[in-house]
Amino acid sequence: MTGIVAERYTGSSIKRSEDPRILTGAGRYVDDVKLPGMLHAAFVRSPMAHAKVLRVDVSAAQALPGVVAVFTGADLEAMTIPGPDPLAAMMGGGGPMPEYTLLGTDKVRFVGDPVAVVVAESRYLAEDGCDLVEVEYEDLPPVANAAVALDPDSPPLFENLGNNIVGPNKRTEFGDVAGTFAGADRVAEFRIDVHRHQNVPMEGRGCVASPDRESGIMTVHAATQSVHVTRLGVAMRLGIEPEKVRVLAGDIGGSFGLKIGASREELAVAAAARSLGRPVKWVEDRSENLIASGQAREESFDVRAAVSDHGDLLGLDVTMVIDTGSYPVMGTMVPSIMEAMLPGPYKLVALGFESTAVATNKASYVAYRGPWASETFVRERVLDLLARDLGLDPLEIRLRNVAPRTDPPLTMVTGRPLVGVTTKESLERVAQLVDIPAFRRRQADERARGRYLGIGLATFIEAAPGPREPGGPSGPMGLESMRLRLDEDGIVVLFTGQMPHGQSHQTTLAQIAADEFGVPFEQVRVVVGDSDVVPFGLTGGSRSATMTGGVALHGARQLRVKVLDLASHLMEASAQDLLLSDGKIWVRGDPASAIEVSEVARRVAAGEFAGSDVDADLEVVASFDGGEGGWSGGSHCAIVEVDAETGIVTVERYVVAEDCGALINPAVVEGQIRGGVAQGIGAVLLERSAYDEYGNCQSGTFMDYLLPTACDVPRIEIEHLETVPLDADVNFRGVGEGGMIVAPPTIVSAVEDALSPFGVRIYEQHLPPARILELIATGRNAADEQADH
Amino acid sequence: MKLPAVDYEAPDTVAEAVALLAEYQDEASVLAGGQSLIPLLALRLARPAVLIDINGLTELSGVSATDGFVAIGAMTREYVAGESTVLADAVPLLAAALPLIGHEAIRNRGTIGGSLAHADPAAELPAVATALDAEFVVRGSAGERVIPAAEWFEGYLTTSRRPDELLAEVRFPAARPGTGVSFQEVARRHGDFAIVGLAASLTLADGVISDARLAFAGVADVPVRAALAEDLLAGQRPSAELFAAAADLATASIDPPGDLHGSPEYRKKIAATLVRRGLEAAADNASEGQ
Amino acid sequence: MADISLTVNGVPRSGSAEPRKTLADFLRDDLDLTGTHIGCEHGVCGACTVIVDGRTVRSCLMLAIQASGSEVTTVEGLGSDGELGGLQQAMWDSHGFQCGFCTPGFLVQATAFLSAHPDAGEQQIREALSGNICRCTGYQSIIDGVLLAAERGRQG
Repeated sequence: MTGIVAERYTGSSIKRSEDPRILTGAGRYVDDVKLPGMLHAAFVRSPMAHAKVLRVDVSAAQALPGVVAVFTGADLEAMTIPGPDPLAAMMGGGGPMPEYTLLGTDKVRFVGDPVAVVVAESRYLAEDGCDLVEVEYEDLPPVANAAVALDPDSPPLFENLGNNIVGPNKRTEFGDVAGTFAGADRVAEFRIDVHRHQNVPMEGRGCVASPDRESGIMTVHAATQSVHVTRLGVAMRLGIEPEKVRVLAGDIGGSFGLKIGASREELAVAAAARSLGRPVKWVEDRSENLIASGQAREESFDVRAAVSDHGDLLGLDVTMVIDTGSYPVMGTMVPSIMEAMLPGPYKLVALGFESTAVATNKASYVAYRGPWASETFVRERVLDLLARDLGLDPLEIRLRNVAPRTDPPLTMVTGRPLVGVTTKESLERVAQLVDIPAFRRRQADERARGRYLGIGLATFIEAAPGPREPGGPSGPMGLESMRLRLDEDGIVVLFTGQMPHGQSHQTTLAQIAADEFGVPFEQVRVVVGDSDVVPFGLTGGSRSATMTGGVALHGARQLRVKVLDLASHLMEASAQDLLLSDGKIWVRGDPASAIEVSEVARRVAAGEFAGSDVDADLEVVASFDGGEGGWSGGSHCAIVEVDAETGIVTVERYVVAEDCGALINPAVVEGQIRGGVAQGIGAVLLERSAYDEYGNCQSGTFMDYLLPTACDVPRIEIEHLETVPLDADVNFRGVGEGGMIVAPPTIVSAVEDALSPFGVRIYEQHLPPARILELIATGRNAADEQADH
Repeated sequence: MKLPAVDYEAPDTVAEAVALLAEYQDEASVLAGGQSLIPLLALRLARPAVLIDINGLTELSGVSATDGFVAIGAMTREYVAGESTVLADAVPLLAAALPLIGHEAIRNRGTIGGSLAHADPAAELPAVATALDAEFVVRGSAGERVIPAAEWFEGYLTTSRRPDELLAEVRFPAARPGTGVSFQEVARRHGDFAIVGLAASLTLADGVISDARLAFAGVADVPVRAALAEDLLAGQRPSAELFAAAADLATASIDPPGDLHGSPEYRKKIAATLVRRGLEAAADNASEGQ
Repeated sequence: MADISLTVNGVPRSGSAEPRKTLADFLRDDLDLTGTHIGCEHGVCGACTVIVDGRTVRSCLMLAIQASGSEVTTVEGLGSDGELGGLQQAMWDSHGFQCGFCTPGFLVQATAFLSAHPDAGEQQIREALSGNICRCTGYQSIIDGVLLAAERGRQG
């Protein structure tokens, strides 16, 4: 390493370069895209949960002035190549492959299932056209929930499967499960349920598909977490070469896992656009987003826990059912991640795990911020429930069971090494920050006055990207690539496959590159969102801090070496004697010798190195395997008040002690954590994707699917722990999903603590006010019964 | 969620508006603030043939106090009513309920008449109107009618306004001296519709309840007056025991609906809690006034 | 189709639209002011908030034709002479937003609120903004931005 690499930016809350456009309304979201001749699409959607489609009559719709075309499911089959959802194809959980068509043809499988697309001069007219499409359905018995789906006699959603079991159903054991359970002082049994809820980004899904008949290029303006995955999805479905598809993404209004690949609607729109030879836009409205875009988290768990009388959690045996809804996206892959993560940062020596994935007449199970999160919910709930049974404090039982940091690190019984995990430290720190004994005194005083306050604690780790595995890269999805280039104007340009939708990559990656290369922050530009120019990549899995931060660091260094080498020729000095900082290069000890880095680039472009054997290419392609990788994690603590007469819960205080390694931009890290915690509060107190017993969606507007507001989320205090550096250079670890993973058990734990005078035990994640009153009544009844004995 | 095709008229006078209603009858929807109607249209749950936009009828705006009454023009914006000192003094129960309606942007457009003509049983203003025996002045082709609140709310989103009539004004009796009020509600979030709401008013004379008004939002398809509980309270001195008895009586005969936000049992339980809390708050306010 | 003439961000604008077209769609589609965003079209999320004749309004709940003759301010009109307004600058300094989709609605609502309540405290600000939904931030950074703008406003 030559010269001074001043860390001016990395580690500071540098203001975002995205903000000037965001704050002035100059962001470019997909619905802002307007192209000449552009048409608008709307979908005819099934009002039935499960039905055969007997007849589709589009004649009245086609006749409506302003409607340009109507494509039915059958039309689209002739226009496209059948295949699985791009995300399902990429991440496939195994199991039987359901057969179905892009839009509904012979049957529909959930309320909102699209059966036709109307393309018109405006969205208003397209919806008018949809009203005129006549569809004749024949009702089929709804498979409205997992219990029905598990019945082998339930009508199969997918004829070719014969039943509604869609995931591989196998049992795996780690460690000596039988022996551990046989030898344990006690075996506790629990049934724990997590409810269906969903991503709900403020911007829905959408795209503008724009074909160019001359060149044969299909340009898709998308809202996506990966332009390349969308490109491949569109290419495969339309049966064209990937090189003939260009995906562009501008600003994206959030996603949280929803917008990966290409949905059935987007693919239908691309096919329609190609057929019409004109751009077609589809942006889903809020009803579509809530009813049809996809949902997550509906899992139930039968748990057996092998425990010692002193509170050692020796083993878990878990049987899980996951309700993956109708069309496969990623539901079937969730169980295997859960299985791997269930031991968490604890010393369990045995784990048994079995899962069944079922199909039901609901919207598809999609990825939602920390898709495997229920493993943390189950494990943290179990610890709290065991603590109550054994008369232990929730902090005490966790500290007792947490794996100590050893060298070499302990491994989870499912195999991954717990290298650099600071769970013990974060638990102790969050307890200090909250002053639990003082809270307990206050709690007792308030109980005497009829007010119910409670405190809850939970801890988690996530593979962000995960520890280095022998023989392979740390990160999921392989190596991360980046192209870096020094332009003639002295700008260092980074081309990344990351696709920010709120993560501030255009700021954080520039911070790292600016520091490593040696230019001011303003002299770095991060290019995203064009499949023609960025390398393969995907934003997701809390991996970008390590993988992309790492490749930016190493790539900037590589580019720096190149530039100094070229400068050494231009300045007739040895590269070791050159310093590069603040965008200038000078000979050590001779500041008057300074030149701008742009001068090097200009002189290269002017041909000064032509004909020589010097490598004058000012572009590098870097790749990074994650280095030593690592875990992120943290401990959260919440104080809540429950109004025992109305069931309304207020979150009074929320404290986080987190460890995501080295911080690139603290404000960005904190924003990610707070946003995740808000979603966790929403999940517990407000949000449920609700269906009735006929499969009708009951949460199709914001009047019924409730999101937390500024009055529902308190200030969230965050402390960052000293990191355990694992890698010589790259110790940034991901933080995107953690808040949402651990906030639900934290809040539930606090509510249970608040209601402990009523003998309440909580085995579920959704606690609306009515449920709180039911729990109090049940707890009281149980206590009365106990008192009677 | 784009609005369906609809014709549009924007009359300049009440007479024109009434003439249009006479012509279109129940094929027309009256567009006042639009905060309830436009979402229904966007969701394509309502498909009137014509919208009669009465935002140009400035003669229907305004708050004025007359002999023992406060008259509020139907097009008075909720935020204007909220800023009215006349209203705050003379109809404190309405003033107490107004800030609970939605959010500021909703109250900037929403109107007193619009909310009462829409008649959502979970909304705040219908409960207030029912508690106070407000009067609804409608104008139609046959002339003017005055309809008492007890006859105004007929069913879910249904009032006794005839299709050819326009709600022009709502009159609230002025509160007597010694009156304390409270509007209580249980809502999932700040600004949401009440799961159950309670409009409560107590008038005390020499420490004795001379007048009690209680009306629920959200326990039926119309606001519900707790008349039996009011009778129990009249002539008594405020006490926790009295209020608990009133709560039991008020909720004994209600049969609330169940939905995503609460079961019938839940609504019944919190309705009783709101009566206790509402009466206590109203009694405190009444005492402060004396 | 109806003719619509109004003033937007101080500039006279006109167009024609069916009566059923919302003000939100008219601003975005006919006037090319895409800063105002559509988040729900049923008046709950606040992303479409604009100012009409001095009061905040959910532009998805107003017909464009109803705004004819009015003065409208959108997010594009909050700064002046190409400079960020005080609230916008404070939001930038506070890392107020992430994906930016809810941002225009928040900026408009908070601008109107601060003009009327320049000394508002945190709880008041939270209540005033509780009709705007953000899915990314958990609100704290937004509240901090508004508090910072208020403080700077007091310092003049």
